[in-house]
Amino acid sequence: MIAVLALLAGVVLGVWLDPTVPAALQPYLPIAVVAALDAVFGGVRAKLDRIFDDKQFVVSFISNVLVAALIVYLGDQLGVGGQLSTGVVVVLGVRIFGNVAAIRRHLFRA
Amino acid sequence: MSADDRGERPARVYAPDFLTELFRNPLEPGYAAAAERRRADPPPPWRARSTRSVTVVVLVVLGFLLAVAYRQTMEDEPGRSQARSGLVAQIKEREHATDELSARADQLREEVSRQRDAALSGSAAARLRDLEAGTGLGRVRGDGVVVRLADAPGDADAVTGAGAGPPRVLYSDLQGVANALWSAGAEAVSINGQRLTATSTIRSAGEAILVDFRPVTGPYEVSAIGPDSMKRRFEQSRNAALMRDVAQKTGLSFGVREADDLTLPAAPEPRLRYAEPPESPSPSPSGDRSASPGASGSGTSPSPSGGGR
Repeated sequence: MIAVLALLAGVVLGVWLDPTVPAALQPYLPIAVVAALDAVFGGVRAKLDRIFDDKQFVVSFISNVLVAALIVYLGDQLGVGGQLSTGVVVVLGVRIFGNVAAIRRHLFRA
Repeated sequence: MSADDRGERPARVYAPDFLTELFRNPLEPGYAAAAERRRADPPPPWRARSTRSVTVVVLVVLGFLLAVAYRQTMEDEPGRSQARSGLVAQIKEREHATDELSARADQLREEVSRQRDAALSGSAAARLRDLEAGTGLGRVRGDGVVVRLADAPGDADAVTGAGAGPPRVLYSDLQGVANALWSAGAEAVSINGQRLTATSTIRSAGEAILVDFRPVTGPYEVSAIGPDSMKRRFEQSRNAALMRDVAQKTGLSFGVREADDLTLPAAPEPRLRYAEPPESPSPSPSGDRSASPGASGSGTSPSPSGGGR
């Protein structure tokens, strides 16, 4: 409950403040969002598995976002930014899919 | 992974590959480890509270991130589609301008030849007209044949969009037909109203066929003006036999018919990049020298190799 409220508060804050993203960070924003979603779905699944851990969640969120952005940044420097971001999205997408499937099993027993 | 201990068994079991592992185990193993640790050694309540508040902060940051990313994408979108529609409009505009200019060029060319006819004496003008007709620079009319080629019927795969699609006429087919017509005695050849000259090109660019850098689309009509024997000679040629074979096997349509009173348009003025007409000492309207570059050698019938490439 608190988590959902916090999420909503963040959305409202983002809409209300309407910050402009620096041009240098713009390519990493979508990747960061996907990485964050991965951490969130992992957290939800852990919650349903009753093994949720705050520290683990916070660390995985921050490290996911930073590592994803770092990989894309490295790829940009090496000239394979597009391919590497595709790879990152594929890996994170597979993880999100797996976690959502586990959540679905928890919720619907199917 | 666990390949080593499994490798010892008689029935060899392969370790799951990377993707299978990824699908099977998407959860961070850290959660299980942390739960284990907590069970063994429960943390003091103040720590649990502080980490809980950090989680809330992270979730606020996450919501913030989502909102910002969403707004960013929405802001980018109109710019992108605007740029695309702007480019499309520019292309349309330029195409229109090109059509207008080429129509004007044709008009001016007619004007020039009319003025020249008026300025030249009768025989010289007639000779110049003959040369122009032979080299493709003048409009010609006469009897001849029309070779019709069309792509096989049927649409591209509706589900996948691309794919094999129906068999299509290739640029090399048009080249072959044009060359066969030249060698069957044609004096003037045009493809879909584009006159071929000694320097014409028939090429493919992606899926389109370009004749002298102007796109032509199917069905293709190759019209040729020539002697009465041309149809028979063309049909006996190797290229016609090949095309008949291809048409039978793939469903392309290929037809040859005689046509009376064809009118073939003039080709655009050739752009000579390396050759120059010789400086004649007196620009007298004799007509003999003025048309020398195109007409040297073959007289009124262009060289057969000219139609090809």
